[in-house]
Amino acid sequence: MDDLYKEIILEHYQNPENRGEIEDGIEADEANMLCGDKLKIMVKCDGQKIVEAKFSGGGCAISMAAADMLLTKIIGMTLEDVKKIKDEEIEKMLGIKLTPVRKKCAYLGLNVLKKL
Amino acid sequence: MKNNKYLFPIYKNNPDLAYFDSGATALKPQIVLDKMMEYYTKYSANIHRGIYAISEKTTEEYEKAREKVAQFIGGENSEIIFTRGTTESINLVARGWGNNLLSGDEIVSTVEEHHANLIPWQELAKRKNLKLSFLEIKNNKITDDLEKVISEKTKILAITQVSNVLGIENPIEEIIKKAREINPEIIVVVDGAQAIPHLKVDVKKMDADFYAFSGHKMYGPTGIGVLYGKKELLEKLEPVNFGGGMIKEVYLNRTIFADSPDKFEGGTPPIAEAIGLGMAVDFLKTTDNQEKMIGEMIKKELKLRPWIKIIGGGDSIFTIAIDGVHPHDIATILDSENVAVRAGHHCAMPLHEFLGINATTRISLGIYNDENDVKKLIKALDKVWTIFTKK
Repeated sequence: MDDLYKEIILEHYQNPENRGEIEDGIEADEANMLCGDKLKIMVKCDGQKIVEAKFSGGGCAISMAAADMLLTKIIGMTLEDVKKIKDEEIEKMLGIKLTPVRKKCAYLGLNVLKKL
Repeated sequence: MKNNKYLFPIYKNNPDLAYFDSGATALKPQIVLDKMMEYYTKYSANIHRGIYAISEKTTEEYEKAREKVAQFIGGENSEIIFTRGTTESINLVARGWGNNLLSGDEIVSTVEEHHANLIPWQELAKRKNLKLSFLEIKNNKITDDLEKVISEKTKILAITQVSNVLGIENPIEEIIKKAREINPEIIVVVDGAQAIPHLKVDVKKMDADFYAFSGHKMYGPTGIGVLYGKKELLEKLEPVNFGGGMIKEVYLNRTIFADSPDKFEGGTPPIAEAIGLGMAVDFLKTTDNQEKMIGEMIKKELKLRPWIKIIGGGDSIFTIAIDGVHPHDIATILDSENVAVRAGHHCAMPLHEFLGINATTRISLGIYNDENDVKKLIKALDKVWTIFTKK
């Protein structure tokens, strides 16, 4: 439990590295109205490679921290590579065990990225 | 302080549970479960069909349950229709009454409705080309200038007695009276799902035309609910579920329907659940209720914490928000302390939008909550604040 809200997750939730806007990139979003979560992700590519990634929106600590960490991870990757990221890798990246309900929160960022 | 927990077997399996989600569904007392098991093990036949002892017994028990419900809310037996729940009850009215409405007629509802008392009317409005408008709320209360929204053209008023988010009881009797002064022909449909477990309901006194509620929120089983309707209106309400058990005579080309309530109960109904609901009524009538006192304790503790924003609070529902903490995170941390609450929109998205908030955390009380539950709740809320403000 205290694991779930360990420092690294709270840090990414409260002080995200990648919150912001990209005007001339490509973007996708998803809303989970039942949770009250909304997430928009914008990325900019140089050729095939992602050179910049930002997100905006709001949601729980798990969904926001996961999105923030994920956007740092994908810099330098191609969109094709991103589409190959597996759900389990998100859990690994967060370093926590998730219940089925909270998995939905954690995967929100990846789901949006796969729409790009 | 009296403790009712021993009446609920779930506490034997989850002794540390502090359950604050009765607004979603209430826990079940042993006597309700025993009553249902009695049906399944002692006389488990169908109703209104067999000419043999156990079938007669089943019919008798099923109709006795209807009588108990009727007495509980002040209606007559033939005015009590068993449904699957509040949602099905309201849908039955919206579908079965539709043919009495004409294009251009109006329906009025409120911004604080549960989706169950909104979407059926949206759909009806779409189907019959009706206008749908809404009473607003101010300081968590329905605004009293009804004449701004209700007119002679308003044929239906669909309104909740207690909001499932704000927890506030609407002055329903007064509202119905005023609505009838504007249009004596208006049909008032009351969503009683959150009222029935907590308030003394008298459908005749409040003068509701239809009153809907669920069994599972009042310590009864899931899968059973009630639609009360005034006798003369039930004659005009069309059945929507056709088949066995709802007929007088059937020919290849036409059917004469049974009278109410049978007309609306096509197919084999949830018999065990109806009988269980009858027992839940007895349970509610005879069990000491200290919710008000528990509610006061919670209110006091919440107010001591300036970081908790109370969005809505009646006697048995408290909806809160904590700045910088998403309701899901609140609920997850509370769960780690065995405290069960609800997080999200609570099936009232338009209300959240109206209030300009994303999602909330709801603490709702039941007959089993005690002082110890309150201590656990508050300790867990403090833990939320500690986790999100550490550093």
